[in-house]
Amino acid sequence: MDQPEQAPNTATVKILCIEDEHFIAELYARALTKAGYDITVIVDGVEGLKAAQSNLYDIILLDLMIPNMTGGEVLHRLRDPAQTPPLKAKIIITTNLEQKEETRQEIEKLADGYLIKAEVTPHQLVDILGSLK
Amino acid sequence: MNRFENYKHQLSLLIFASMILVMATILGSFWLVERVATGSPWLAYAAAVVANLFLAALLTAGLAKYVTQPLKLVWQAILHVLPERSTLDQPAPNIDDNKVAAELVTSLVMQVYQLASLSERSDDKKLDQNTRVIVDSAINLPLPLLAVDKKQIISFANEAALTFLGLPANQVIKQNVYTVLDMSFSDDKTLDSWLQDCRANKAKASHSWHHIRLKLADQKTLKQFDLAASYSKENPEGIETIITIFDQSERYGNEDQSLDFIALAVHELRTPLTSLRGYVEVFEDELTGKLSPELTGFMHQMHLATTQLTAFINNILNVARIQEGHLSLQLHQENWGRLIQEAVNNLALQAQLHSKVINYSIDANVPLAGVDKVSITEVINNLVDNAIKYSGDSQVITINSHLGTDGMVETSVHDDGVGIPATVMPTLFEKFQRNHRNQAKIGGTGLGLYLCASLVKAHGGNIWVNSKEGEGTTLSFTVQPYSQLAGKLKNSDNTDIVRSAQGWVKNHSLYRR
Repeated sequence: MDQPEQAPNTATVKILCIEDEHFIAELYARALTKAGYDITVIVDGVEGLKAAQSNLYDIILLDLMIPNMTGGEVLHRLRDPAQTPPLKAKIIITTNLEQKEETRQEIEKLADGYLIKAEVTPHQLVDILGSLK
Repeated sequence: MNRFENYKHQLSLLIFASMILVMATILGSFWLVERVATGSPWLAYAAAVVANLFLAALLTAGLAKYVTQPLKLVWQAILHVLPERSTLDQPAPNIDDNKVAAELVTSLVMQVYQLASLSERSDDKKLDQNTRVIVDSAINLPLPLLAVDKKQIISFANEAALTFLGLPANQVIKQNVYTVLDMSFSDDKTLDSWLQDCRANKAKASHSWHHIRLKLADQKTLKQFDLAASYSKENPEGIETIITIFDQSERYGNEDQSLDFIALAVHELRTPLTSLRGYVEVFEDELTGKLSPELTGFMHQMHLATTQLTAFINNILNVARIQEGHLSLQLHQENWGRLIQEAVNNLALQAQLHSKVINYSIDANVPLAGVDKVSITEVINNLVDNAIKYSGDSQVITINSHLGTDGMVETSVHDDGVGIPATVMPTLFEKFQRNHRNQAKIGGTGLGLYLCASLVKAHGGNIWVNSKEGEGTTLSFTVQPYSQLAGKLKNSDNTDIVRSAQGWVKNHSLYRR
C-alpha cells in the first residue's frame, strides 16, 4: 500500500479535530498521528471554540454537526475579529451534509476548505493536508 | 333591482302623465281659442301653439333632468378624477336630494373614487387610454400584476402584487423591477434575457416560466411561483411589459421537502459509510501480505463495495437535484485527456475485480473541454460501470475521444458484451428502466443512464447509443470545447477554489498526483 507522505516539519504541525463521531475521530487520529502530526480531538462545539481560540493549532478540522454549538457558529465566531483575533490556522470544514447554495457560499467565504467525510478516506485526508501550504 | 324597478315605474308614470298633460293642453287650448277668440282665430292658434311648445319644452327639460340625474353624477365623478379634467367640482357623494336609485348611484360613485385613488398610486399621468383601461380593470384582480416600462421601472402594481411582496406602494412603484423582484430562475433564460431578445427582435411576445424563487424583503420568506409576461413594443411612452405572478409557494414548498428528505437520508447513509471506508483502509494497510489470497480478495471486494455505495449515494442526490432543478454546474477549462486518465485510474480496481481491462485513447486534436469536472466524471464512471456490468464474458472496455465534425468533443465507451435489446432502446435514458431479463443477474438501480443523460444535456452536449443484442454496446456523448464556452461562462469570484467529489480547498488543488 502507498505510504502516506510526510509533510515538512510534521513534528511541529498541530491539528485540532472538532468531531463528535468517536469512530471517525479515532480513524483520523490514527492516520494523522502515523503521518507525524500532533492531533487533538475535541467532541464539543463550545470546548472546540475555546481550544481553537488559543491559536495553538496550524490546522483545524471542523465538523458541522457537533453538540452545544454548531460548526457553522464556531466558524463564524472564529472568523469574527471582534470575538477572535486572526488565527494562524487553516480551517477545513468536514461534513457529510449536502448544503443549500446560500449556506455553501457563506462557508466558502469563511473557511479554507470543505471536505465530504464519506468521500475522503484517512489516507486521502493525510494527502490533502500534506499538500496544504 | 327593486330600486331600479321603482325608478322605471316612476319614470313611466311621469312620462305618461307628461304626455297626457301635453295632449290635454293642446286640445284644451284649441277648444279655448275656438270658444273665446272673436277676431281672427289664427293669431289665437299661434299663441296657443307657442304656449304649448313652451310647456312641452319645460316638461322635456324636467324629464330629461330627472332621467339623467343619476348618470350625471357618475359622469361628473369620473370626469373629476380623470387627470385631464381635474378642474371640475367634485359632486356631492351623498345624493340625498335625488331619491331615485340613490343607493345604486352612491355606491357607483364610491367605486369610481376608489378606483381613482388606487390608480393614483401608479402616478401614471402618461398612460394612454387603452393601457388605462387594462390597468384599471387589473386593479381588482386577485392575481399579482405589475406593469413595467421601457426603462425597467415598475409603473404600476395592483393590490394583490403589493400584498404578495409585503411592501408598500412607494417601495414598489417607480423602482427598478429587478431590485424589487430579486428572482432566481432555474436556467439562464431569465426574464431579463427574454426582454432583451424581445426588444431586439419582436413587436409583441409573451412567455411563461415555472418555479421561480424569490426572497422577500424580510430576507426570510421564500416565495416560489410561476411567472407570465407579455411584451408589446407599441407603447412608445408607456407600459412595455405586463408581468403576472401565480403564487405556488405551497405546492413547490412541498416538493422542496422531498429534496430535504433525500439530503437527510444521504447524510444518514454517509455517516456509517465514512467509518466503513476508514476501517477497510486500515485493514488494507495492516493486513496486506498477512492474509491468504482469498481473504485479500474479500478485503478488496469490501473496498469496492464501499466505493460503489458512495457512488450510488451521489447518484441519488444528483438525480433528486436534477428533478428539483437544483443542480448547478461549475464549468471550467479541463484537459480532456487527463480527465479521462484520472477517471480510468480510479476505476482500475473495480475493473480488475471483475476481470476487465479498460483501454483508452485520446486523439491528439481534442481541444480543452468546458466541463464541470465532478459531474462529467460521474458520467464516465456510470458509463464504464454499465460497460463492466453488461460486458458478459468479454474482457476489454474501450474508451475513445476525438473531435467530432460538429466541433464537439466526442467520447465513446464500448464493450463487447450482451448488447441492448431493441425493446429497451426507446426508454433507455429514462429513470428506473431496466431490462427485466437482466435484472436477476445484474445488479443496478436504473438511475445511471438517466443521470448521464441529464448531466450531458446540462453541459450542452448529446448522448446516444449504438447497440445490438449479442453484439456489444457503444455509448457516446459530446461535450463542448472550452473555446465555445469561453464567451458564455459566468465569471466566478472564487477562481482559486477547485472542486472535486471530495470537496474543495482554497488556493490548492485536490487533484491526485
